[in-house]
Amino acid sequence: MNAAAEIETYEQFAAPLAPETVKLETKNLDFFYGKHRALFSVSLQVVEKGVTALIGPSGCGKSTLLRVMNRMYGLYPGQRAEGQVILDGQNILDRKVDVATLRSRVGMVFQKPTPFPMSIYDNVAFGVKLYENLSKADMDNRIEESLTKAALWDEVKDKLNLSGLGLSGGQQQRLCVARGIAVKPEVLLLDEPTSALDPRSSAKLEETIVQLKKDYTIVIVTHNLQQATRVSDNTGFMFLGRLIEFGPTPELFSTPRAKRTADYIGGRFG
Amino acid sequence: MASLQRTRRTVADATFTGLCWAATGVALVALAAILWSLLVQGIGGINLNVFTMSTPAQGSTGGLLNAIVGSIIMCSVAMVFATFIGVLAGTWLSEFGGNTPFAETVRFLNDILLSAPSVLIGLFIWVLLVNPFHGFSALAGSVSLAIIAVPIITRTTEDVLKLQPPALREAGVALGTPLWTTIRTILWKSAGSGILTGILLAFARISGETAPLLFTALGNQFFSWDLTKPMASLPVVIFNYALSADDGWQHLAWAGALIIAVAVLTINIVARVLGREQRRS
Repeated sequence: MNAAAEIETYEQFAAPLAPETVKLETKNLDFFYGKHRALFSVSLQVVEKGVTALIGPSGCGKSTLLRVMNRMYGLYPGQRAEGQVILDGQNILDRKVDVATLRSRVGMVFQKPTPFPMSIYDNVAFGVKLYENLSKADMDNRIEESLTKAALWDEVKDKLNLSGLGLSGGQQQRLCVARGIAVKPEVLLLDEPTSALDPRSSAKLEETIVQLKKDYTIVIVTHNLQQATRVSDNTGFMFLGRLIEFGPTPELFSTPRAKRTADYIGGRFG
Repeated sequence: MASLQRTRRTVADATFTGLCWAATGVALVALAAILWSLLVQGIGGINLNVFTMSTPAQGSTGGLLNAIVGSIIMCSVAMVFATFIGVLAGTWLSEFGGNTPFAETVRFLNDILLSAPSVLIGLFIWVLLVNPFHGFSALAGSVSLAIIAVPIITRTTEDVLKLQPPALREAGVALGTPLWTTIRTILWKSAGSGILTGILLAFARISGETAPLLFTALGNQFFSWDLTKPMASLPVVIFNYALSADDGWQHLAWAGALIIAVAVLTINIVARVLGREQRRS
């Protein structure tokens, strides 16, 4: 029995959320890299102002799912999504949705830090300048606010004019978080944001994530199960392009209902 | 048995290393010989007149002012065209063309253009811009130089942009920046010194080109700013004067060759330094 057929024999479990708390939702989402199918009818609910973690072995489709939520895949010809991704009642996969506006509402932070080749100040101001015409004072406030929320302000407040490339890896990643939240998105997508960081920087970024959920809806892809338990409210376990189990994080980790989930979090595969 | 094998390997290793050294040596000796004779012969011809007077009639005193200024004008005009086209074409190949058959064709043609004999380019422009207008012109010279520079700039721009991490492009786009703005404000900036290196190398390359100018700008004994008229240039003056029997002209040819060599060397060094900075960041 091949893996794709085998997975059909596993049950899928999802505890539905109360509809009024759902910010973002995928419905029967399929995804294709050319001819290769990477997602199979994924239906996932993301709670507003909470953290949703996506876990699963490498290649299970977690990052792919994340990259559909801001249509990042649209940069690459040959990649396509079918089904629905509903943000505040609107299907964002609809061609009529302006992708630049969508991405300003749904921000993203990547696995590796990606500071732009400019000063720390300009890095954070970059996205803001595109959508808002702020006075110098307002912009200064926005920069300070964003860097403070990203837990970086104290470390960089005296060197805002220095290049963002000169910061440490952990600082660069928090700079990217600050840059992402400076445009005041509603949703923040984090794609393994701590995997390139040392433990101390990771811990700091995790604190930041917990702080950020007061204001933002967060979806985080992570390979680190402890991290998922520490920061998330809900967790989805994915395997071979399917959402196997979804529910409140403490329950999913203490009493998983699908055998695959139990095997994965028990460290028996993955 | 084992020791015999080891001896064979040692001999092969020494032979190969020796050949590499020898080949490098030949190249370096040739380069040193050229530079040395250029310096010895050229330095004697350099004096204030070279930079203040135009090319002389046979037997009288003069300089290279019209040729130096002509070269600078034609190369600069060429670089304006070539930079504009080359950077945009390279950006298209890297960011939009992908591996589509059309992009592959463009890439292939660009590579052919990269190694096209410059005399052919000169003839092509002669047919296109000189013959129909019944006259040689500096503009035609600039266009033929631009055609030599464009493929170099296109190629380096594409290569340097492809070296930029994909995540940088995605990070720009993820903020809600349109792709084109992301390319302009982030990728070009990040790849900037690399692109500039390509532009400078193309500039160095065209500043020594003679063949395309013979058929287009022709040359001019007098000083001229007029792009629609023939214009003097260093390589063409060197070509003409070096073949003459006149001692004064021959000295000027050597002086001109030295000036070009120093200019090209300077540009190359600047390009190198910029390239190193690119790699460091």
